[in-house]
Amino acid sequence: MSVVPEDLRGELEADPRTGEIVARLEEELGAAGDSAALERVRVSFLGRKGRVTALLQGLRDLPPQERRELGRLANLLKSFLEKELARRAEQLRDREMEEELRRERLDITLPGRHIPLGSRHLLSSIIEEIEDIFLGLGYQVAEGPEVELDYYNFEALNTPEWHPSKSLQDTFYVEVPGADYRDVLLRTHTSPVQVRVMESTPPPVYVIAPGKAYRHDVPDATHSPMFHQVEGLAVDEGISMADLKGTLETFARRMFGEDRQVRFRPHFFPFTEPSAEVDVSCNMCGGGGCRVCKGTGWLEILGAGMVDPNVFGYVGYDPERYTGFAFGMGVERIALLKYGVPDIRLFFDNHLGLLEQY
Amino acid sequence: MRVSLEWLSEYVDLVVGAGELAELLTNSGTAVEAVETTGEELQGFVVGEILEVWPHPAADRLSVCRVDLGGQVVEIVCGAPNARAGIRSPVAPPGTRLPDGTLISEVEIRGVVSRGMLLSEKELALGEDSSGIMELEGEVKAGTSLVEALSAADTVLVLEITPNRPDCLSMLGVAREVAALTGVRLRRPSFRLREDEEEAAQRVGVEILDGDLCSRYVARVIDGVRVGPSPWWMRRRLRAAGIRPINNVVDVTNYVMMELGQPLHAFDYRLVREGKVIVRRAAPGETITTLDGVERRLHPDDLLICDPAGPIALAGVMGGEHTEVSEETACVLLESAHFNPAAIMRTSRTQDLTSEASYRFERGVDPGGCLYAADRASCLMAELAGGRVLRGAVDVVTTDIGPRVVPLRVERARRIIGVGFSPDRVKEILLSLEMGVREEGEDALQVEVPTFRPDLEREIDLVEEIARIHGYQNIPSTLPATPHRTGFLTREQRARRRLASIMVGAGMREAITVSFIHDAWLRILDPDAEHFPASPLRLRNPLSEEAAVMRPSLLPGLLEAVRYNVNRRLTDVHLFEMGRVFVPVAGEKLPREPVRLGCVVTGRWIPKQWDREPEEADLYTLKGVLERIADGMHWESWSLARREYPFLHPGRSGAVLVGGEEAGYLGVIHPRVAEKADIPPGTAVMELEVDALVRAWKEIPEYREVPRYPSVTMDLAVVVREEVEAGRVEEVIRSAGGELLREVRLFDLYRGGQVGEGEKSLAFNLVFYALDRTLREEEAQAARDAIVQALRERVGARLR
Repeated sequence: MSVVPEDLRGELEADPRTGEIVARLEEELGAAGDSAALERVRVSFLGRKGRVTALLQGLRDLPPQERRELGRLANLLKSFLEKELARRAEQLRDREMEEELRRERLDITLPGRHIPLGSRHLLSSIIEEIEDIFLGLGYQVAEGPEVELDYYNFEALNTPEWHPSKSLQDTFYVEVPGADYRDVLLRTHTSPVQVRVMESTPPPVYVIAPGKAYRHDVPDATHSPMFHQVEGLAVDEGISMADLKGTLETFARRMFGEDRQVRFRPHFFPFTEPSAEVDVSCNMCGGGGCRVCKGTGWLEILGAGMVDPNVFGYVGYDPERYTGFAFGMGVERIALLKYGVPDIRLFFDNHLGLLEQY
Repeated sequence: MRVSLEWLSEYVDLVVGAGELAELLTNSGTAVEAVETTGEELQGFVVGEILEVWPHPAADRLSVCRVDLGGQVVEIVCGAPNARAGIRSPVAPPGTRLPDGTLISEVEIRGVVSRGMLLSEKELALGEDSSGIMELEGEVKAGTSLVEALSAADTVLVLEITPNRPDCLSMLGVAREVAALTGVRLRRPSFRLREDEEEAAQRVGVEILDGDLCSRYVARVIDGVRVGPSPWWMRRRLRAAGIRPINNVVDVTNYVMMELGQPLHAFDYRLVREGKVIVRRAAPGETITTLDGVERRLHPDDLLICDPAGPIALAGVMGGEHTEVSEETACVLLESAHFNPAAIMRTSRTQDLTSEASYRFERGVDPGGCLYAADRASCLMAELAGGRVLRGAVDVVTTDIGPRVVPLRVERARRIIGVGFSPDRVKEILLSLEMGVREEGEDALQVEVPTFRPDLEREIDLVEEIARIHGYQNIPSTLPATPHRTGFLTREQRARRRLASIMVGAGMREAITVSFIHDAWLRILDPDAEHFPASPLRLRNPLSEEAAVMRPSLLPGLLEAVRYNVNRRLTDVHLFEMGRVFVPVAGEKLPREPVRLGCVVTGRWIPKQWDREPEEADLYTLKGVLERIADGMHWESWSLARREYPFLHPGRSGAVLVGGEEAGYLGVIHPRVAEKADIPPGTAVMELEVDALVRAWKEIPEYREVPRYPSVTMDLAVVVREEVEAGRVEEVIRSAGGELLREVRLFDLYRGGQVGEGEKSLAFNLVFYALDRTLREEEAQAARDAIVQALRERVGARLR
């Protein structure tokens, strides 16, 4: 196939000087397969000493008639050649780019670069989730000491020394020079924060208090001497058990799913009266009864009740004017139920295999 | 508390099924933990009447019995000594299985075909007796199913009784709840006590010396008893309640305790010297040997039942060995008393001894019911063990035990529960619980509380009863109606959340370690007690020595977490923890509990990858984390200053100073500590006071103008002596660079052939720009020249 189009070639071959250049061009351009060869072609025709350049330079020595005619042909040839070279150069670049891209192909199945990944502890995440639910309900977050006085942990919570409920909670006691054996202890629940908050704040009070608590339990799948609770307290004028029910139902559905049933059962705690235990319908079996809920269809998630007037007496709140409710829940228990972690001890082993899951 | 429905139905008609009953009880505060059915294991067995017995022709110890099974008469080979004509016994016909799994089939025993098996109590798993075949009592027809003959088909509810409800630790108490919940009548046990001519007071005297611990003591005497096994029905009911039958006298005391909730004790009257009972506190040094054979040293607050010669029972907890009822006992002194709950609880704790009796006394027994229980038990004892009940009871009362009257406002109940009760509904509920109600005006009620409810003392206690019986499920759900209320976190709480997210963003995993540590940690970390408090907070009653000290630092817990993972071949550990530590304060009962942020890294920070080498975690990894914190908390000034700590490598440690305040330490664990604590050498740690970090937190950083004109970037490599630290060089660069110098970043550190011995080359990348114009190259160059000049003069640096 010829390089120069048929009609143009016919015109150029009319003069043997351009005809000869066309013949050379056909030969050299046809053979130029890469950018370097193409450049050589450019130089040999259009370079300073190129054939077309020489032809154009020779024009001025020709008689006017011939000069005009040959000049027209030479310029025709030059402009064709320039366009053709540019076209071929671009074609070659495209082809070369394609080849380069083919060479740069990566194995995208190789693993990605390692970026160190951090994570929160599951219990911290759950505590934050609980905090956020209650922040949305208008509560603030309160804190209290983990090493507590008997007064705040028991006495001001209406749990006198001899009360049988104390036998429910085996307590760690702390050595303090000059203090009685049972004076200073590791709090057995987060409830003492209730007393501390009410002591320092006049009503109304709406707080939750997350934190660690301790009981003298030998570790097993469901017991740990250290665990986490979230306490809640609302004291205001006109607070009723109906408000307690509504609040905890709202919480339980946010936490465990909007389709959950919530059940309140009467129970006993020294610092609330009336008292309740709260269950949600089992998520494993949907309430039909299974191993997780021990066949009952219900999972116990927290204890609650109306603040006992005696507790108000300790903190100087007027029990005739103010009423309130309090509740407490075990964070580990919620983690066991919601995330299916089978053994409470796993939370404190800090096995990377567990930490990396959440 | 295990409640047999067969037994319960003696006191209340069960108008709902077991499942519904369980739900009613659960929803009213008596949680049903389990529902057990019994009798299934006895399916297939029948009553056989032995018609005739003859010796086995080929075996000395065996006999052959002709047994009527109702429809048919079969021959059964039997080895029991008590097999005799006329008795009725359980029979396992061929094809049935014993509770232990043995399949019964027709077998030939030395030439005689035995069509079934006569059974002992043990073989039926009904008791321990294997001395002979079980003999069935009463009029029971041959061929009757054994389940029916033994009333064995029963349902037992296992109840969780809360400590405020001692009344529910009895069949009658549970029946009272069931009656109130289902609207049926309660039946008290019916019995008629026949008394002898002789008066009990002639034989027994009771003296209460410590009336504060014993408000009532009732004694009765039953003479002429024959101690032997109890009848089947009583043994069955006791077993269903979880109590092991012993003999008819002891069984009656247990039976009445389970029935009425009043613990009773039977003494062998002959062994109570002078027939005189004295109730008093223990004398110093006094001892008693209780029924369990343990000699116990008594505390002066322990209450005793004594005779003139000494203690005969640990009151309310356990009887004494000396006066125990035995096979020889012919006369019983029966005790039915009321003891102070706190005293019984204390004794039970200090003696580490609990019993069904102490469990009930420490929760509160009905002082009004002592006599009734004594009468009931005396009557049963006379019925089952023979003997005569001496006339009258010796009944000593030291304090007022009459019913209590508690005022109740109906409006108060409405306000607290959130239900608009009518006065009639409130009265109805109280009456169903056997309370007396008297109206005093529209809203006010006077409520007489029966003595079996020691938990009901105040108005609020009655409000709870109303809510409970009304049913929590029938209370509406609302939210507190307070409009002007918003929830928010404090600055410190926001800061802690931010710190945690910075740590997570820096690739650290959060750990939670236990607050108690082994005190060996303190000796390992700080042998000369230079760093940690000399006397850390200790538990008086730790679970073990490994967990006896409240942590003064997060370090032990984090290092333990490292060891735990490394021992499991998880060698690349990057952990942080945010939690409290405990620092005793002289003269204060409570310690300080500062919140700390602890970090530990060991192993590789980045593992070996397919195209690059691994990166070890080291001091600079943690310093990188610290820089992240500094950036994230917008600290205005901070530094890591060389400092030594007993547990850190002396050349690889420093104090973290934030805003001029010492906030903690960062460094590599001392090799001696790493070895003793069995953690990898080179482990790097950091521990910071969160309070200090929060104080330095610039929560709202000031706006800094964003550069709009191009910057000039230059590299500067200088050679300094080895002992000149990079931080010092950077400090000189910054101070000499002037205000146009905006960024200084060390990007290369070189030691080797191209610099002299004892020298190093540091290369910095410098960025210059002005905020109001494009910087000219010469301006930057001038600043650079000034820097070079200063470096030469102040740290002896030369250009490389």
